[in-house]
Amino acid sequence: MSLTNEFTKGIIRENPLFRLLLGMCPALAVTTSVDNGLGMGVAFSVVLLASNIVISAMRSIIPNSVRIPAYIVIVATFVTMIDLLMHAFTPALYTALGIFIPLIVVNCIILGRAEAFSGKNPVLPSIMDALGMGAGFTLALVLVSAFREVLGAGTFFGQTILPENIPAIMMILPPGGFITLGCLLAILNKIQKKTA
Amino acid sequence: MRDIFKLSLFLLVVAGISGAGLSYVNSLAMPLIAEQIRQNKIDSFKEVYPQSDKVENESGVYLKDAHDPALKEVNIAYRSGMPAGVLYAVETKGYSGTISILAGFDIADSRLTAIKVLSQTETPGLGAKAKDRFFQDRYKDKNTTLPLEVTKTAPVKDNQIQAITASTITSKAVTKGVNAAREHFNATFGAGKQ
Repeated sequence: MSLTNEFTKGIIRENPLFRLLLGMCPALAVTTSVDNGLGMGVAFSVVLLASNIVISAMRSIIPNSVRIPAYIVIVATFVTMIDLLMHAFTPALYTALGIFIPLIVVNCIILGRAEAFSGKNPVLPSIMDALGMGAGFTLALVLVSAFREVLGAGTFFGQTILPENIPAIMMILPPGGFITLGCLLAILNKIQKKTA
Repeated sequence: MRDIFKLSLFLLVVAGISGAGLSYVNSLAMPLIAEQIRQNKIDSFKEVYPQSDKVENESGVYLKDAHDPALKEVNIAYRSGMPAGVLYAVETKGYSGTISILAGFDIADSRLTAIKVLSQTETPGLGAKAKDRFFQDRYKDKNTTLPLEVTKTAPVKDNQIQAITASTITSKAVTKGVNAAREHFNATFGAGKQ
């Protein structure tokens, strides 16, 4: 396993949202506009990177029987730090993402990576793993939110691109999230089958 | 037994280090957050009641008697030392949560100057439009004599507010909150009261 491989696997082959189907809650809830999706993705990536580094550095001293509580404390610490820093430096994004920042604590991708990867691998591959998984999740969120924002609100990054009577408001409501995600998964599965 | 002791000690150390790190970040971020909240408040005061030199929170004076639970704060805007306007912070129940609104009134000519929706959790694309300029402008410069009412068509009377399309519940909630402030204003600062 080369380092580049650890990075690229998170983007397509093991994309956390499209291939592992993890982190569905934020993926459905915050993807009503591209800047929300991007903001969530970046905040998530920072937490994942920090927690992967610390967990893999501590992997030999964390006793196996209490590793899950230790992981959760580490992840929760970083999330709270991000929460405070975002509130202080990017208030607009902080208001838009609301409850989903604290919810990164229980984001299953982060715990999943700790359990599946950084708890067993050295620091450098764990960094690549976090960067790849973070980029993959961010890309997936941006893709879902781009579809939803364009079709639901007729805007892209807040810029109006469709005339007023075309967008279907349903696309930025919860049903639109499920429909978009379902269609994207179907398309990706089809492509995957062809190349496999 | 020794194992349990060792494991708890380990978790205690991890939690202790986390706590120390968090309190450091907290001490960095808190002043900035407090400053931001204060600045936001000043900006919103300016938006709903522009002509004032200073604004004082006088809820202690005006909300000490029984009052509509929607009213959260009464701020008095002073111009050259004299009370000129009243800024109410009100909270009202919308379609999916609490909507908090700031409503400004002018004492001299008994009118609603403007409103601003401070926070809301309404449906994106529908009720969330309550925070958009176009909806808040519908409350601009309304006379305070009659209660405001919501209509689904273009307003024909001064006390009518056109609802946001497909978001009547939100529009009614905002109007209800503004009306609560309006009643308190009329009873306390209306013509002849001061």
